[in-house]
Amino acid sequence: MSGELGIIDSGILQFAPKGAYYETKDEQYKAVKKMWLNLFHYDRTLFGLLMVLNGTGFAKGAMTHILLSNPPDIYKEEKYGVGKLPAELDGLPAEFENQIIRYSLYKENPPRALKNLLMLTGSEGHEKVNNSRTRKLILEYIFNRDNKSLEYLAVNYKGKLQKLIKHALGKQDLRKLLGGNDYIFRKFVGRYNKDAFLVVCHIFNCYDLAEKRIYFSMLDNYNNLKKASEIGDVDKFRKYMKTLPIRTVMGMRNLYKVPIKKSELYEKTQLSNKDKIQMQEASKRSGAKVEVDYNKQDIYNLFKFLYFNIQNKKEDDLDKILKAIEKVQEKLPKINIGKCVVVMDASHSMMGSDERPMHPFLTGLSIISTLDNIEQVIYVGGETNDFYDNFVLPIPMNGTDLWRGLVKAVGTGSDNIVVISDGYENSVKGMFKHVYDHFKKSGYNFKLTHINPVFSATSSNGTGRRLTDDSKPLPVSDYKYLETEVIFSKLIEDKDMVKKLLIKKYQNLLQ
Amino acid sequence: MSILKTLKFTKIDAGTVQVVDEMTVVPLVGENRGDLADPFSLKFERTSNYGSMVYTNTDNEKASIVPSNFMVRGPGAQDHAMTGSGIVFAKKTVTFNNACCIESSQGGYLSEKNNEYDILPIELRKRLLPIDMRNGKSFNKLWPDIEIWLRGLGVGNAAHLRYFYDNPSIKQSLEEFSAEFEPVSDQIGAVILFQDRIVGIEIMPSVSHWDAYWKLLIRGCYGAELLRLKRLKRIKPAQLQMPKFPEVVVDPDKLTAEVEKFTNGIRQDIINKLDLIKINKAKSMGIQKDLETVLIETETGGGGDLITQKDKPIYLSLVV
Repeated sequence: MSGELGIIDSGILQFAPKGAYYETKDEQYKAVKKMWLNLFHYDRTLFGLLMVLNGTGFAKGAMTHILLSNPPDIYKEEKYGVGKLPAELDGLPAEFENQIIRYSLYKENPPRALKNLLMLTGSEGHEKVNNSRTRKLILEYIFNRDNKSLEYLAVNYKGKLQKLIKHALGKQDLRKLLGGNDYIFRKFVGRYNKDAFLVVCHIFNCYDLAEKRIYFSMLDNYNNLKKASEIGDVDKFRKYMKTLPIRTVMGMRNLYKVPIKKSELYEKTQLSNKDKIQMQEASKRSGAKVEVDYNKQDIYNLFKFLYFNIQNKKEDDLDKILKAIEKVQEKLPKINIGKCVVVMDASHSMMGSDERPMHPFLTGLSIISTLDNIEQVIYVGGETNDFYDNFVLPIPMNGTDLWRGLVKAVGTGSDNIVVISDGYENSVKGMFKHVYDHFKKSGYNFKLTHINPVFSATSSNGTGRRLTDDSKPLPVSDYKYLETEVIFSKLIEDKDMVKKLLIKKYQNLLQ
Repeated sequence: MSILKTLKFTKIDAGTVQVVDEMTVVPLVGENRGDLADPFSLKFERTSNYGSMVYTNTDNEKASIVPSNFMVRGPGAQDHAMTGSGIVFAKKTVTFNNACCIESSQGGYLSEKNNEYDILPIELRKRLLPIDMRNGKSFNKLWPDIEIWLRGLGVGNAAHLRYFYDNPSIKQSLEEFSAEFEPVSDQIGAVILFQDRIVGIEIMPSVSHWDAYWKLLIRGCYGAELLRLKRLKRIKPAQLQMPKFPEVVVDPDKLTAEVEKFTNGIRQDIINKLDLIKINKAKSMGIQKDLETVLIETETGGGGDLITQKDKPIYLSLVV
């Protein structure tokens, strides 16, 4: 531990490289990077512990990169005496950091996890880092899995895997591996999956080198599909495409101009539920019938689909989406902050930026879904839309007379008021604070929590979006980070208490 | 709202005021007026020569309006602005040869790609009101005024308006500033004030026109001018003086009434101020089919374009 903790907020876990309504992503990144490094140098263990909380894949990747670029061994002699790592001083095992890194990595879906590993190769503006820990992490992530999962990864993310393996092994060992050197194979790959040689050959397009030690059906189909594409054999293409992911098949179809309709691809290839959602519009345009299981979707996405459908006047799936929202809301793990009344800002600025349309508003709706014990939700601003079966839905619009929501909330008699707003108030600016101060002076006793659903590197530190003098905004750009934010809000006040709490969480999760 | 009455604008009401520091916006709400193409039918194509801006209207039936003093800034090309408003009929491409260059030493023609759009700031719009400036075909006619406008801001001495808009801290301030204001339901226009002085009245033909152009007006025109005045210390930083609530008013309903009384007071005060804006002159700039453009001049040296369709006003862009 060294120096002062300085400015820190949960932005370090919530950062995603996308701009907000008021700040560009570069400005945000600079501010967050400063916070990462500041915390890392202040207390490496606390830095690692925070990674057990929910955060964006990008933030976890960048934090992992910082840990892996700074070997913990350097602390042994310089600061803590021989034999002690920083984590061990807090009663944590020597393996603590590696466990945290693995936990963060495996929590992500494969595309994000691979992107995070690629940060180690120098992608997304990071510096290259290559040491025994990074090598182990990369190779273990790729190969320590069953054959089915391994071939799925290899077919879907061939290019990314190629880059990662090349980075981990280096040219010389890679050449030896592909040349059939058994020692190198066992040392780097075989120790995780003894059948993986064929997969390595597939990744590096050296299929002919591989002996079929075990049958990888997907890889075989991939190669057969490729051959069929090259010679324009549509019947064979149809035969082999059925077991392969849509993106692979679509790529092959487009590259070799295989004369087969897109609608057939959407109907007959392998589509994950996420693929179905993402490609819903494209598949419909092509005339394919693709069924989406909305019940398996995240609440944020469900609200997104709902608004997308309403704004585009598409009624087909609305009923299903509404039912799914109800079902998913019931199952969501709830956060209890006591009985409360929520004031939700539905003014125009809650529409968000072009890069993330409606993000603040959808996040607000999702936060409401995770809060337990809500007595009433009061919408301020907005326009109601009831085009579908009398279903009334607020759409962000109009100015922000947030004070009106506060007055109504106080009028309910609640002593716990949660305001979800970007804090941009214009009808008129400062009136919220004025009314709040008046209530407080008049003896009303209530607690106000301001949740800001727009990620901004300055949202909690700046004063521009503060609604009152005594309620610091909690920036929660993803409803999943509400718990993270609540913990962070206590970090400055009582760091030791938060550290103990995180150690407990870590022990429950990983030990 | 007397000036609007004088200009025969009907069925327009003032919405709830939006006050942020030194600027106040009173939304004007009302029905769509006129029979014009959707604003997205209008495409800026290119500059065909220095001082010539080319637009196409892709609509098959209806005419489009180019908003007054529309400014286009593009990469590696001479940025341009319209000297007034413009009309482009259905399926037509029109070249406005009286446009002005807004960079004094930059070559190259604008294309339709990668441009940034805004409306010229108030003071520069005023400089374009005299007929010779408006109609003159001299591409460099605004350069001396741009140079004066930029003076003292520390963004360079040449007449390059983009020095202002591209300056990182100005850019950020303008973005943040425009984010403070929000369009409201049925909004077709606004009255804009700096502190207690009306500086502009904007009325678009429809809600979709306001949606398309409000940010360019708030950021590029009014926001830019206010920011300049603040940087030059020609306007004092100010915050709205909040009302003193009677101590006895602790009942939420009564408090709501108190705040509404206060904001309605501001609104009414501004409506009264509209009575003070008098028109000095109104000169027809030409009639094209059922559309007429009239250049309005106010008694205080302000002015701007009024467009009527079948003798009914549908568009107004006035700097006061």
